[in-house]
Amino acid sequence: MPREPKQAEAALQKLGQRVRAGWAKKHPISERSLATVRTTVREVWEQQEKERRTKLFTPKIPPPPKKKGKDKDKGRGQEPEI
Amino acid sequence: MDDLIQLVRAYQKTAELDERTQIAESIFRVVEPKMSFFVFNSVRPSAADDVLQIVLIGILKSLQKFSGGTDGEFLKWCHGVARHKIHDQYHAQKNERFQPLPPEEITELVDLSATVTPLATGERLDLAYAMKLLAESKPECVEYLLKHFITGLDYGEIAEELKVNYDAARMKIGRCLETVRELVA
Repeated sequence: MPREPKQAEAALQKLGQRVRAGWAKKHPISERSLATVRTTVREVWEQQEKERRTKLFTPKIPPPPKKKGKDKDKGRGQEPEI
Repeated sequence: MDDLIQLVRAYQKTAELDERTQIAESIFRVVEPKMSFFVFNSVRPSAADDVLQIVLIGILKSLQKFSGGTDGEFLKWCHGVARHKIHDQYHAQKNERFQPLPPEEITELVDLSATVTPLATGERLDLAYAMKLLAESKPECVEYLLKHFITGLDYGEIAEELKVNYDAARMKIGRCLETVRELVA
């Protein structure tokens, strides 16, 4: 007689947990991967430092003042003509 | 639980290189075996280690942008990066990609896991039953069942990987499981 659906699912999930745990035991992080991690962390950090310094030492130039249209807002805030 | 996410947060906040390197090593001592399992079950063995390095670089380069809040979300995000990198490498060779884990290797990994956490009473029977379910599954079901139960991907991740919609992946796994369950008494 077949087992209940939940039992089949639970058995497969248990097998998955065991297989992943066994894999982690059999294949701990390799020296090659550790070297990749160290090199990439340094590269990312250097790039961020470069960007930070560029930002820090770039003189801030104020944006040019906005030109108002010739007829824009005409009459607003002005004294009414008598 | 959620130790990993604490490390990720610490990595994102740390500006100092040495400290950042140490934290990254701690993160990848946990993440790398999970990614290597994923990669070695997705591409041919001769290319797997090179692809794994590309995946690790991809994760590290985007780590500052990760914004999730749990270990599960972080691992799911890592799987997403891995999936995209594998796709980039193998988009023209789809048939070469899926490498099912051989049953003898599954048994070996189970035995290895038992050296860390001994099997509970009755667990070996359950595991033998699960192995039988996989062995008796239809060929078109094996990939779905392995990815879901053994690799540990959820329906959404499988749907994305196999280019089907979420419900199709969920229903396929349900049907495959139901069919083989009735077959294995």
